[in-house]
Amino acid sequence: MRSRINSKTIVISVSVLLLLYFVVFPMIILLYDSIMLDGHVNFQNYANVYSQDVNWKALTNTVQLSLVVMIVSVIITFPLAWLVGRTDLPGKKGFRTLLVSSYMIPPYVGAIAWVQLLNPSVGYINSILRWLFGLETAPFDIYTFWGLAWVLTLFYSPFAFITISRAMEKMDPTLEEAARVAGASPLRTVLDVTLPLMAPSILAGGLLVFIAAGSCFGIPSIVGMPGNVEVMTTRIVTYIYMGDDAGVRDSTALAASLMFIANALLFGMTWMMGRKDYTTISGKSTRPNIVELGKWKIPAVLGVSLYGAIAVVIPLGSIVMTSFIKSMSKDIGFDNFSFEPWIPVVTSAQYMESVWNSVVYGVVAATIGTALALFVAYLAVKTNIKGRSLPDLLTVIGGSTPSIVIALALIITFSGNFGLNLYSTMWIIIVSYLVKYLTMSVRTIAAALSQVHISLEEAAQNAGANWLRVCKDIIIPLIAPSVVAGWFLIFMPSFYELTMSLLLYGSDSKTIGVLLYELQTYADTQNASVLSVIILAIVLIGNLILNKVSKGNVGI
Amino acid sequence: MAEVRIEHVFKRFGAVTAVDDFNLVVKDGEFVSILGPSGCGKTTTLRMIAGFERATEGTISIGEHVVSSSEAGTFVPPEDRDIGMVFQSYAVWPHMTVAENVGYPLKIKKVPKEERERRVQAMLDLVHLGEYGKRYPNQLSGGQQQRVSLARALVAEPGLLLLDEPLSNLDAKLRESMRFEILEIQKKTGITVVYVTHDQSEAMAMSDRVVVMSMGVVQQIGAPHEIYTSPANKMVADFIGLINFLDGEVKGDRIFLVGNDSHSWANKNGLEGEVTVAVRPESITMSADGGEFRGVVTHRFYLGDSVDFRVDVNGHIVRVIKKGSDIEAFPDGSTVYLDFDQVMFFKRN
Repeated sequence: MRSRINSKTIVISVSVLLLLYFVVFPMIILLYDSIMLDGHVNFQNYANVYSQDVNWKALTNTVQLSLVVMIVSVIITFPLAWLVGRTDLPGKKGFRTLLVSSYMIPPYVGAIAWVQLLNPSVGYINSILRWLFGLETAPFDIYTFWGLAWVLTLFYSPFAFITISRAMEKMDPTLEEAARVAGASPLRTVLDVTLPLMAPSILAGGLLVFIAAGSCFGIPSIVGMPGNVEVMTTRIVTYIYMGDDAGVRDSTALAASLMFIANALLFGMTWMMGRKDYTTISGKSTRPNIVELGKWKIPAVLGVSLYGAIAVVIPLGSIVMTSFIKSMSKDIGFDNFSFEPWIPVVTSAQYMESVWNSVVYGVVAATIGTALALFVAYLAVKTNIKGRSLPDLLTVIGGSTPSIVIALALIITFSGNFGLNLYSTMWIIIVSYLVKYLTMSVRTIAAALSQVHISLEEAAQNAGANWLRVCKDIIIPLIAPSVVAGWFLIFMPSFYELTMSLLLYGSDSKTIGVLLYELQTYADTQNASVLSVIILAIVLIGNLILNKVSKGNVGI
Repeated sequence: MAEVRIEHVFKRFGAVTAVDDFNLVVKDGEFVSILGPSGCGKTTTLRMIAGFERATEGTISIGEHVVSSSEAGTFVPPEDRDIGMVFQSYAVWPHMTVAENVGYPLKIKKVPKEERERRVQAMLDLVHLGEYGKRYPNQLSGGQQQRVSLARALVAEPGLLLLDEPLSNLDAKLRESMRFEILEIQKKTGITVVYVTHDQSEAMAMSDRVVVMSMGVVQQIGAPHEIYTSPANKMVADFIGLINFLDGEVKGDRIFLVGNDSHSWANKNGLEGEVTVAVRPESITMSADGGEFRGVVTHRFYLGDSVDFRVDVNGHIVRVIKKGSDIEAFPDGSTVYLDFDQVMFFKRN
């Protein structure tokens, strides 16, 4: 009995301490640095940055962009989720996969694709439209506020889609049926029952999009910066790149503002979701009431297909096609396609080192992260120790903090000022991945753990097993699929991570995301496309494995 | 009020036939239960009457109107069928108050506000929730929510009330009192009711007639006492109440228990070969001094108001329920004599 309590206590306290040190401490330092100078409270840096038009404009741009992206995402997503979830739309399953699949594409790859399609000089779509209608100038310019809003919407609307369609699935269909027998038409039922019941989820999905769009660096840096459309994240990076103490201090002011906005919204959202108790007793699971589309079937299929094509097929097609073009200056034709562009990339030791780095960092982060996630999830779900959900909350805070803020906090904290110096090593990158992605793994494992009834553990204890033995023999085998899923949920986003890697890499620790970003900045479209296809292939394989082990329950 | 006619209705999901040639006329003001184990097609039948499932074949009429006909291609959507429905999960809308929930059907029908409020209040009084109009459903107990659901189903005075296992989420005591309340309300309003349940005592206690279903097929339609005393087949006999199934055989024109010649019955239905002899445990009289069959008591279970015995009659284990609480009258191992009353015979399969 004694040994069980001890091993449990030790393991759990170590995880809590690690989380406090690597998640909470850096953020406190960041906040402290942003408001203190030489031991005194000093807001001069806030005054500095916000007195400059470019920063103020970045702030308003960020808020406006995030709002536009949020609203448009919800407006597009609700009907899509309804069509896929509640109607007899043909090919629903395929459409669902298609609609969430842009979630697994690295955002900056999407940005590169849309630059290829819509840049004003040689964008594919612009060229086609000019040729078709004999236009003098390109009809679209991606390097604008609306271009940026367009790409952000396509890449972050899956956040809303997933939240909204999950809520739709969870809703008791008899609530809608009760409205129908009460005399309401299908449309009236949607307005009077479905929409009001889903309002909290819709808002939650929208806020997730808002936060994701506002925290994103990859897309604005590739789509916004060339046209001088600055947002908070791109300004922060610019300040950090200045390299001097004043620049870093100014960047902390911006980062602290961004962190404050993101976390305030998240807490507001959680509070709001918890306030209204919409849980109802649900009886036997009736099949959800499937609405027959009738004559609207074909228009609906066309509409959903069109959205899928725009959001996923066309941009990915563009990247894959570009990676096989022999000469970018010639016209596109069959004689201009070959594997030639791939050879210099895959034979380049420098490129392949970055790919290898990303794989290694991803594997290390995923392995450490899964072990930590197990303890954090166990603590939250299976014990009744006071403060058991604190570590879980810490990982949630890490996950909801914008990447750029995490990177900056780690730079300030682990550059040797507080004992540990990780600067320019692979470890600072790995820590950043853990801070950002641990929460996804915790969620997955916690969900599985809550399904394992306590009596199974108690039976093993009766048979004489101590706590570690119970974990090894009973719990882990039972939740193995979720553990594997949790591993991939850290590995994949880590593998293609850009923002934090870009700020944290050293000469020996360049990752594939950073390499791709450099190639794009140097306008090397060809090599950038080849590398993008390599990333996409690895992510696709990872997702197939993830889908297999979790039987389709979890995916990026 | 309305009569419901269901004629040759089939429902197929792919290769599976969920409802197989269902025929029933529910008379105006009648209370009919559809009873059967889970997956027997009873809920699918109810959902076809409501209009949530489309019958693959057959015709359904409510009152004067054909609401579903595969031949004519008619299909009236649920909102135009003039029905009230109560769901197992109550389906009370959590974002509306009790009064808003109950008033919703009237709001859809554009009933003026004053009249609406008056009728909602009358309905709430009827289900004993007069004081609860301003509350939200999450402030109510399960039984109260189910009453809200009932009030909402009745407020627009529909011709037909459908109830889909309305009591199965309630605890045992509440279930009993709700049975009574539903019957009271049906008496007051005279509404036609189709009631789906898997609970045989619920069906027996409440209905004018019971429809027993199994594997999509109607096994028997009849008044509760008919179903109990003369079940149409072995399935119905087994599903309704407790029953002993004993192996029997036809010898000449008499039916015997296998391996026992002490008593026989006339073979009135002309069965052949192996048969099943069915007798309810409470229809067996047990005594210490002579009867149709001799057996030995092997187990006893004390149930409070009665004792549940197992008696071995030449290897046939017979369940006997004896009223009263005298458990010591027939101790384990004692020899007893049994007389069977109301014996039924079925073909053995």
